[in-house]
Amino acid sequence: MSAQLQEGSVTTIYGKRWSVEMADLSRTLDRLAVAIIFIAITAAFHLHYVLTVGDWDFWVDWKDRQYWVTLAPIILIFFPAAVQNVLWSNFRLPIGGTLCVAALTIGVWISRTFGFELWSYFPLSLVWPATMIAGGLILDAVLLLTGNWFFTAVIGGMAFGLVFYPVNWPIMAPYRLPMEIMNSLVSVGDYIGYAYTRTATPEYLRFIERGTLRTFGGHSAVVSAFFSGFVCILTYMVWWWIGGALSRVVTIPNRLKFAMGMPEEKVVRAEQQA
Amino acid sequence: MSRVALSLLSLLAALLFTEVASAHGERNQEPFLRMRSAHFFDVTWSKTKLAVNEEIVVEGKFRLFKDWPVNLPKPNVVFLGNGTPGPVFARVESWINGQPAIQSMALKRDRDYTFKTVLKARIPGRHHVHPMLNVDGAGPLLGPGDWVEVSGRAADFKLPVTTLDGTHIENLEHWATGRVKAWHAIWLVIALAWLGYWIRRPLLIPRYVALREGNEKALVSHTDLAVGAGLIVVVVALVVGGFVYTEAEYPRTIPLQGGRAVVEATPKSDAPVTVIVDRATYDVPGRSMKIAATITNGGQHSIQFGEFATSNLRFINRAVPAAVAHVDPRYPKELLPRNGLKVADTTPLAPGETRKVELEMTDAAWETERLTSLINDPDNRVGGLLFCYDDRDERLVANVSGSIVPVFMDVASAQMRMTH
Ligand SMILES: [Cu+2]
Repeated sequence: MSAQLQEGSVTTIYGKRWSVEMADLSRTLDRLAVAIIFIAITAAFHLHYVLTVGDWDFWVDWKDRQYWVTLAPIILIFFPAAVQNVLWSNFRLPIGGTLCVAALTIGVWISRTFGFELWSYFPLSLVWPATMIAGGLILDAVLLLTGNWFFTAVIGGMAFGLVFYPVNWPIMAPYRLPMEIMNSLVSVGDYIGYAYTRTATPEYLRFIERGTLRTFGGHSAVVSAFFSGFVCILTYMVWWWIGGALSRVVTIPNRLKFAMGMPEEKVVRAEQQA
Repeated sequence: MSRVALSLLSLLAALLFTEVASAHGERNQEPFLRMRSAHFFDVTWSKTKLAVNEEIVVEGKFRLFKDWPVNLPKPNVVFLGNGTPGPVFARVESWINGQPAIQSMALKRDRDYTFKTVLKARIPGRHHVHPMLNVDGAGPLLGPGDWVEVSGRAADFKLPVTTLDGTHIENLEHWATGRVKAWHAIWLVIALAWLGYWIRRPLLIPRYVALREGNEKALVSHTDLAVGAGLIVVVVALVVGGFVYTEAEYPRTIPLQGGRAVVEATPKSDAPVTVIVDRATYDVPGRSMKIAATITNGGQHSIQFGEFATSNLRFINRAVPAAVAHVDPRYPKELLPRNGLKVADTTPLAPGETRKVELEMTDAAWETERLTSLINDPDNRVGGLLFCYDDRDERLVANVSGSIVPVFMDVASAQMRMTH
């Protein structure tokens, strides 16, 4: 480790002298914190994802060129933006985006394998999750290189929206092959969704592109991805701010203390210390 | 916050709904839904025992009721589903009036349709299988259910198809899942490498302290910046490369198909029987439904009243041989109430004749099928289909609907009270 210079019982970390015991203790704390943070983000981000993107990510016949491409990145960028602020502003760690999407990926695979495949008999070809790691990596790299939340929002946010469709295309293309069933044209994904009965999610509930957007030669994914990128820029800014606000310890002046007759000056000093 | 609560609630509701539809919970649906929405009839199951990979055909007819409840959305977007415990069967085909029912469609009230669903056994077990209509906004409307036993091993199940570009897919269950896993693995490895690159260093407190003391240069080195730039190059190259390669590999793909199908209803019978309900009562302690109606035979032949069908229960009038002959011996017994339909006046109704008729159905089924909670509804109406048979054994199906009045005392105890 280049940042660490051993020197008897004293060690230098990032230009500051630490006793070896303290350095070891801090490392133990790091390991604990990483484990706890990873599990917490996995649980929280996964719940958020299920409640918002939900069906679009659950089913192969919901992953359309319009709503899925637009919505998923906008909702996915919340957690990376907030966590990036916490880790960058306090620790100069450009890993918030990747940490979130990697945690989500693991959470999603656990739920698809156990909840959908083993418990509800849905085949993986119906319930595979989208990948979103590329977007998280770009966010982190842009934050590292620019060191600035605004440029990360503009460049990283736009890239986050744009990259979602192409990065999932290698996974999705085999499910968009055309086939004929009952004298009708459907994609393989449509047929998988049709074959494996979802009792409470009939066909018409699919919130998908039903008519063609009359731009860009009818390829609505391009329009959707750019629109998603623009909104990602804005949501990134909002969630960066929320991440900052949540990581600050906030105290509210305690009115009760005034009411109890405590001198105002003393109260203010106590709060500044807090 | 309330949004999250709402989402959680709807998730819970969805879970419960799945439960209602799948776990033989059809009795939990409100009586007005079951009596006045979709009436299924002539339903058959081609077999009750089959092995994994074998097919079963569930077919029959349904009428979307004329007296459709006002609080239910009209059947403008309808999907032919199957009421099974999730995907224990794979639906390989489904038809409404000969049109493919892979998409949702608009149907008309007071009209009849035939349906046919072909299911391929997938998960072994004893499953309750219903035909089902999903109506947008109204939820699942279940037809009659029968028990079907599936034997064999789930692992042996295969669903092969051939695409239009000639690709033969051995089994849709596993189609392209290798690619899914491979791409997820590639990205996860890169993500973990990036995380590892940073996490291997002294992390939280030392970095926090160094940053507070303004020693930012020690935290992010030139090498780190170069690695970050390299990461962008790798990610962009992988995304673009993967996309271009896939486009070349699969040049002919189509978007999800989300159109709505159009289907014509079965033509209406030109020999109508009209039923006007004068008074319908439900005797609560006696479990007896009585419908006094004025019935007109608008056809050319005299008719008899053979069956009253509601909520997938078939009350058969055993005095009418044609009605008895119309019951498939394999039809689920629990849907054929033992006491059946009783009609006091058994003389056939002549062509053009109008007569007051009393239909009586006394059976514990009203209770066991939980139809009696009807009297708690704000829209207290009874509905069903009356199957009439003419002298050529032709069947005419009439709508029956009207307000229902509950009787809370049985006649015997009422008389007792009067004598005291
Ligand atoms: Cu059932």
